[in-house]
Amino acid sequence: MLKINNLKANVDKKIILNGFNLEIKAGEVHAIMGPNGSGKSTLSNILSGKKGYDVTGEILFENKNLFELETEERAHKGIFLAFQYPLEIPGVNTNIFLKTSLNSIRKARGEKELDALEFLKIVKEKSKELKFDEEKLGRQLNVGFSGGEKKKNEILQMSILNPKLSILDETDSGLDIDALKIVASGVNSLRKKSNAFLIITHYQRLLDYIKPDFVHVLIDGKIKKSGGPELALELESKGYENIN
Amino acid sequence: MEDKIKIEFDKAFKNYSSNDELNFKKNNLEYFIKNGFPGRKLESWKFSDLNQIINKNIGELNFFTDLKKEISTNKNYITKDIDHNKIAFINGILEEVDFSFEDKDKIIISKEVDTSTKINSENSLLNLNNAFCKNFYKITIPQNYSMNKPLIIYHVSTDNLSSTTLNSQLNFILEENSSLKIIDIYDDKSEKNFINTFYNFILKENAILKNYKIDKSQNSNIKYSYNNIDQSKDSISETFILSNGSKFLKNEINCNLKGQYSSAFINGVFSLDSDKHHEIRTSINHLVENTKSYQLIKSVLDDKSKSVYQGKIYVSPDAQKTDGYQLSKCILLDKNTEFNAKPELEIYADDVKCSHGSASGSLNENSIFYLRSRGLNYKQAKKLLISGFFLDVIEKITDEEIKNFIKKIMELNQ
Repeated sequence: MLKINNLKANVDKKIILNGFNLEIKAGEVHAIMGPNGSGKSTLSNILSGKKGYDVTGEILFENKNLFELETEERAHKGIFLAFQYPLEIPGVNTNIFLKTSLNSIRKARGEKELDALEFLKIVKEKSKELKFDEEKLGRQLNVGFSGGEKKKNEILQMSILNPKLSILDETDSGLDIDALKIVASGVNSLRKKSNAFLIITHYQRLLDYIKPDFVHVLIDGKIKKSGGPELALELESKGYENIN
Repeated sequence: MEDKIKIEFDKAFKNYSSNDELNFKKNNLEYFIKNGFPGRKLESWKFSDLNQIINKNIGELNFFTDLKKEISTNKNYITKDIDHNKIAFINGILEEVDFSFEDKDKIIISKEVDTSTKINSENSLLNLNNAFCKNFYKITIPQNYSMNKPLIIYHVSTDNLSSTTLNSQLNFILEENSSLKIIDIYDDKSEKNFINTFYNFILKENAILKNYKIDKSQNSNIKYSYNNIDQSKDSISETFILSNGSKFLKNEINCNLKGQYSSAFINGVFSLDSDKHHEIRTSINHLVENTKSYQLIKSVLDDKSKSVYQGKIYVSPDAQKTDGYQLSKCILLDKNTEFNAKPELEIYADDVKCSHGSASGSLNENSIFYLRSRGLNYKQAKKLLISGFFLDVIEKITDEEIKNFIKKIMELNQ
């Protein structure tokens, strides 16, 4: 599904990613762990098409060169990024935003756009699953939401948009244990043979709830080590410095 | 200009019946001839030199027209989106008054001008208006009467009119416990005229005035609109301005809070493109204790457009416990746009709460990225962000029906 070959990225001549390689197949869950400044967020930004990076190398998503696609085209193809810091958008009603978002993706996929009623049905169902307070959907997007609510809102969006590849950028940070469990179960309920997850995190904690198939350690813009779920536990006990 | 304006004045008012009124008009004409159109030398016009703007965009002006059109029969300027009473100015002349939604004979309309008031020589546009306004109407909302439906005042100009000044004026008295909602809608088929409108409102105790000014139709006219609002005890005024369609538009709101616990709310939106230049200038005079004012102005500017907000809060020595607030924000979509904000706080009392702020910048790129990552294209994301930016102001409108009407006009169907 996703192939990253020798990805290098600079910001203002500072090297952030330095020969990054990764392959993700449909049905897999990959976790990337790494210390602060190792390039984790840069990776997720580049995958979703954020401007401002000098990039070389290759990213193929379903054999299509991602660098040729704009941010929204990547979303249309099925890439979703759950933001580390979801933005507050004053004046924009959450429901309206969700409907616009879903319909623009459905339209791009050649599916029928949903009317208000059909949309409401989906949203109600998904909010219930994620224990997301429906009343919040009538409010301005993320404005006045707690950290946990913002993250849950990201997962709600993910579950409504039903992407092929979901990238979770430190979704666990700032979550209490109850919110973490809800977020994890939201992710687990979306796991299918046809889609994949890339989970970026500092801590092993999230991986107690979302079992990854592969764990990669990102240090200085490169994958230092890859392994199974046991690697996360090793990191937790030894720390990043003792990985080799 | 002097000879031309005098000849046109004599032509316009040769058969005028009232001598007092004619003298009043002549005095005003003298003042206008002496001072001319305001220019940047005046502090209140420093960001918008009207004299230059008229010279550049119109050139020589006619001061009088007796142009009539059959427009009164087709009336396609009338909106069907909201039930309303109506007044229509066609080419500056009051042509239609219809209060059919109100109790019979409740609304009193009289033709008179108080010629005894001292002529205000500080605003030459008021002098021009007084000199050339065809009729002075006074509309009185009686005690304890709340209008059933809003009053829409249509300002219509027809397509065969150009290079002319149109002067219209209305006086409103809101008696104790009365309320009035006015929507001003400009419908311009004409090009390159100077349209000069004055409203004077007197709010008695407990009266409520809501005035929504909608400048939406795209046109090349130059416009000035002035509201004077005198407020007694416990009265409330709410003014909303949508500044969008005209080549140039300056709205001035002068509000005198003369009675305790009176309050004034002014909310405005500039949505400008091409090389439009619009201004809102407010002057809130807190003259007694315990009065309140609130102002929120937002701009979105594209191409080479320019907006100006001059907001003055004056607090007299007697006006303790004043609560005054003003905030302006601007999104600049193009590097050739310009936003000028000049807050003026003149405070002579020591126990007051007054604050002001102004911020401008470009669209937040991170917000755009967030929305695009959810599948919206750049245009959709931009539109959603701008709508959101404006909605904050629109939500301040206290009349639900009119709020929805304005949302529809602004295509903010969220």
